[in-house]
Amino acid sequence: MTDATATDLSRQDRQGRRAALGRRVLPYAMLSPAVLVTLAIVFFPMVQTAWMSLHDYVLFRPNDFDWVGLENFRTALADEVFWISLRNTVIWMGTTIPAQLLLGLVTALLLNQEFPWRPVARALIIIPWALPSVVIALMWVWIYDSNYGVANEFLLRMGLIQQSIPWLADPTYALASIILTLTWQGFPFFAVMILAGLQAIPRSYYEAASIDGASAWRQFWHITLPGISGVMMTAVLLRLIWVANSFDVIFVMTGGGPGYATHTLPLYAFVKARTNLDFGYGSAIAVLFTLLLMVVVVFYLRRTGKAVS
Amino acid sequence: MKFKTLTVLGTALALTAGAAAADSTVRFWYHFDNADNPMDELVASFEEANPGITVEAENIPWNSYYDQLYTAIIGGNAPDAAMVKMFAQPRLVEMGALQPIEDWLADWEGAEGLQDNLLKLTVGPDGTQYYLPVQYVVLYLYYRPSMFEELGLEVPTTCDEFREVANALTRDTDGDGQTDTYGFGFRGAKGGHDHWASFTLGAEGVSLTEGLTSDAGVAGTQFVADLFREDGVFPPSAPNDGFQEIIGAFKAGKTAMTIHHIGSANGMVEALGDDVAAAPVPECGGGRWTAFGDESTAVMAGAEDPEAAWKWISYLSSEGNNTMFNEATGQLPVVKADSESWSLHPQRFVQATVDSLPFAEMLPDSAATADFVNTVWPTQMQRVLTGDIEAAEMNETISELFAE
Repeated sequence: MTDATATDLSRQDRQGRRAALGRRVLPYAMLSPAVLVTLAIVFFPMVQTAWMSLHDYVLFRPNDFDWVGLENFRTALADEVFWISLRNTVIWMGTTIPAQLLLGLVTALLLNQEFPWRPVARALIIIPWALPSVVIALMWVWIYDSNYGVANEFLLRMGLIQQSIPWLADPTYALASIILTLTWQGFPFFAVMILAGLQAIPRSYYEAASIDGASAWRQFWHITLPGISGVMMTAVLLRLIWVANSFDVIFVMTGGGPGYATHTLPLYAFVKARTNLDFGYGSAIAVLFTLLLMVVVVFYLRRTGKAVS
Repeated sequence: MKFKTLTVLGTALALTAGAAAADSTVRFWYHFDNADNPMDELVASFEEANPGITVEAENIPWNSYYDQLYTAIIGGNAPDAAMVKMFAQPRLVEMGALQPIEDWLADWEGAEGLQDNLLKLTVGPDGTQYYLPVQYVVLYLYYRPSMFEELGLEVPTTCDEFREVANALTRDTDGDGQTDTYGFGFRGAKGGHDHWASFTLGAEGVSLTEGLTSDAGVAGTQFVADLFREDGVFPPSAPNDGFQEIIGAFKAGKTAMTIHHIGSANGMVEALGDDVAAAPVPECGGGRWTAFGDESTAVMAGAEDPEAAWKWISYLSSEGNNTMFNEATGQLPVVKADSESWSLHPQRFVQATVDSLPFAEMLPDSAATADFVNTVWPTQMQRVLTGDIEAAEMNETISELFAE
C-alpha cells in the first residue's frame, strides 16, 4: 500500500467519522432552539412557581420573601375554599369531558354519513371551537340572563318553568350552566378528531362485516370503536389537560361566584395570586393542582394504554 | 476641511442630544366608564401648552385596573402617572410605588383653588401627600317618581320605610304571574360593598374596623339578606349583578330604586327623562352612611420624568381642565371655580350629592381594604344572599380581615 492510498483512506475515514458525528449532532442542533425556548418559557416559570410556593411572598411587599417551607401547603389543606374548589374541579372535569366526548362522537358519526351540503355542515360545526373563550362566555351570560335571556324565555314559553331562573346567580345551577357552556364550546374538537379517525377505517371492514350479517350496532362496537379508540384516547388526554387548566370562561361568566359556587382550583390560584397578590399561596395551590392532575393523567394513560393495546 | 466637517457633525449631534433630553413622554393610566375617548382633547391641549412633553393616556378596564397596576409596578413597567382611589393608597405606599408631591404642591398656584379639605382627606397613611384629587362623587339613592306616585308612596328616609316601600314596589304589573318590577337593584358583585355599607355601617358604633360583629352590625347584614331571601325585593340575579346590570335594570324599569352616584345621572336622564330623581340613602340603625367616592391622580415612584408627570396631573386638576375632565367622567370637579360654574348635571342630582356630603365616608386607610373590596366582600355577600352562610359569619370574616 502506497503512502498516497493510505492518506486517501485516512481522509475518507475522517470524512466518514465527521459525517457520522454530524448525523448524531444534527438532530440535537435542530431541536435545541425549541428545547431552549420551552425551557425558558415553560420549565423556568414552573420551577419559579414551585420555589415561590415555599415562601411567604405577597406582591405588594416585594422586599419580603421569607422561606416558610411547606406552610403554604398546610394552609391550603386546611382551607375550606381549597376543598370547595377541588370538589367543583372534580365535578367540572368529570362532567364536561365525557359530555364533550359523547356529543363529539355522535356529531362525528352523523358527519361521516353521506348527505347533501356535508362540507358546509362540517365547517359550521367548528364554529364554537373557533370562537374566543371571552366571546363565548359573554354570549352565554346573555343567554342565561334572568331578565332578558333566551334560555328563560324559551323554557317559560314551553311551560317547563313557572318563574325565571337566575342560572348563574343561583349556586344550584351556576356550575351546571357553565358546564353546559363548556360542553358546547369543546365538543367540535372531539367531533373533528373522531371524524378524522373514522375516515381512516377501511370501508372493506364494514363490507365484510355486513356480508357476515353483522348488525349496525355490532359493526359500531367491533369495527368503529376499536378504529377510533387511539384518536379518542389522545383527544381525551388533551382535553383533560386543557379543561383542567382553563378558567377564562368561568372567570368571565361568574368570577367564581356566587360565593364559591363556581370556584375551581386554577381559578382560585389565579384569584389568590392576581387579585389578592398572594403569590406564595397562589403558587402552592397551583403546585398542588399540578400534582393532582399528574396523578390523573398517569392513571388515565395506564388504564387506556392497556385497553387500546 | 476635515476639522470643519467634524465640528458641524459634533454640533448637530449635540443639538439632537439636547432636543432628545427636552422631550419626555408621560405614560398615564386611567379608567373611564365612558366608551368614547374623552382624553384626546385634554392631551392635545396639554401638549400644545407644554411642548416637549408627550402624553400617552391609556384607558384600562376598571374590573382589572388595580390587578394590572400592581403587577405592572412589580414588573417594572408601571406608568409614570395614574388615576388612583384612596382604598389603594396604603398598599401603594407599602410598595413604595408613589412619589411625594408636597414640594410641587407648595409651588403650585392651583392648590388653593381646590375644594376645602380635599388635600387633607387624601393624605397618605404615613402623613405624606401623594395624591392629587381630580374628581369626587357621593353615593345616593336613585328612584323612579312615577312608580312611587302610582302607589302613593313616599321616598324612604329610614330602613324600615325602605323595606316597606321596596315590598310595595315589587309587583307583577301585567298579571302573568311573573314579577315585573323589583323594589331595589342590589349590586351583589364586586363594587357592591357601598350598597351593603349604607344598610349596615350607619348603626351607631359600627364600622368596618369596629363593632361589625355586634348585634347592630349583624342586624345590618341580616337586613340585606332578608330583603333578598325573605322579601324578594331584589332581582333574582342580584348576587352576580355588577354596575352594568344594576344601571341597566333601573333604566329598563325592572327596578324602582338603586344606589349609585352622579356619574350615571346623565345616562339615566337620557333614558328616563324626568322620571328619575335622587335622595340621600335611608337612615339605618340610627344613623346614615354613604360612600365618598374619591378619585385622585398620582406620580409613580419609577416615573421617567417625574416633573413632566406632575405637570400633567396638576393640569388635570386646574381650573377649566378639571371641568373638561369631569364632563368626560360625569363626576364632580374638585376645583372651586369649576364647581361654581358647574352645569353638566341636573340640579336635583347635585342637590342629592350635597345633601349626602355630611355623612359621606371613605373606606378605612388599611392595606386590608383592597382585599375587602376585591374578593372578601363579594364572596361573603354572595354566600349570605344564597343562604350558604349566616350574616354573623360574613361580619366575622370581614372583622378578622381588618384585624390582621
